[in-house]
Amino acid sequence: MQRSEETAALSTHESVQAIHTTVDRARSSMYVAGSATILLFWTAIASVGMGSQYAILELAPEFADRSPWVFGALWGGLMVPGMAGSAIIGSRASKKMALGDSANNAGKKVFLYWLAVVAAMFLIPAAVGMWNAEDGHKIPGVTLGIVFLGYILFGIMFRPALAVVGVGFVAAFYIPYSLLDDVAIPVSGGLMLAVAAVGAWWIGKSGDN
Amino acid sequence: MISEPVDLDETIHQSTRLRIMTLLVSVAEGDRFAYGFVQQTLGLTGGNLTTHLRKLEEADYLVITKEFVDSKPRTWVQATSLGRRAFATYLSNLQEVLSFQPDR
Repeated sequence: MQRSEETAALSTHESVQAIHTTVDRARSSMYVAGSATILLFWTAIASVGMGSQYAILELAPEFADRSPWVFGALWGGLMVPGMAGSAIIGSRASKKMALGDSANNAGKKVFLYWLAVVAAMFLIPAAVGMWNAEDGHKIPGVTLGIVFLGYILFGIMFRPALAVVGVGFVAAFYIPYSLLDDVAIPVSGGLMLAVAAVGAWWIGKSGDN
Repeated sequence: MISEPVDLDETIHQSTRLRIMTLLVSVAEGDRFAYGFVQQTLGLTGGNLTTHLRKLEEADYLVITKEFVDSKPRTWVQATSLGRRAFATYLSNLQEVLSFQPDR
C-alpha cells in the first residue's frame, strides 16, 4: 500500500538527501535563467557572423586576402551586442523567478563568467600572435572554440543540457570546417542553427525558459 | 547514561515541506521566489505545492505575497525570520539525530 504524502515517515537519511538535492537544484535554476532564449539569441548572432564572413569571402575575396583580421574584428564586434543582449535577457528572466540579493548575485556571476569568455576570445588569439595577415583567418575557429568551451563548462557546472549543446556546437562547427572547403561556412552555420534550435527546445521542455 | 535523540519539527519534517523550506532559506534573508519557480524547481503540481505552502504559512514559516511585475500578477514566496530559525533548529536537531549513538 502506498503511504500518504502527509504521513510518510521521512528518514534522517532522506532528509539530508532532500536538502542536498534541493540546494543543488536551486543553485542551478538561478544560474541558468533565460538560457534557452539566450541560446537562440546567440544563434542569431552567430548566423549574422557566419553569413557576413561567407559574404565577404564570396563577394570580396581580394579584400579578405588583404585583410584577414577583418573576421576577428567582425566576431569581436558582434560580441558587444551579444553580451548586452544576454545580460538583458538573463536579468529579465531572473526577475521572473526570484527577487533579492541572491538572484542579483547569481546574475552578476553569470555575466562575469561570459565576460571572461569574451575576454578570452580576444586575448588568447592575441597572446599566440594570431592577429596578423597570415593567421587572421584562423581567429574565428579559435574564438568560436572558446565560446563552445564556455558552454560546455557552464553546462557541467549548472545544467548538463547546455554542455550537450556545447558538444553539439563543436561537432557542427569543426567537422564541416575540417572536411569541407568552400561550403564549410554555410554547412557549419546550418548545423549550428539546428543544434541551437534542438537545444533551446530541449532546455525549454525541461522547464527552463 | 543514555542520551535521547531530539524531536524533529513535524511541520518541516515532511518531504515536500522540507524541500520548500530548503529552497526558501537557500537565499539571503529578504529574498523571495516566484511561485512558478518553486513549483518548477521542486517538480510539484500546483495543488500539492499550495497545500504545503499553506501549512508552512499557518506556522508563520513563510509569507505569500501577490504583486504586479511588468503589469503581470505574480505570487511570491518568502521565508520568515521565524521560518529561518525553525529550519536552523531543524538542521541542528537532524545533525544530533544523525550522530546519536545509543549506549550498548
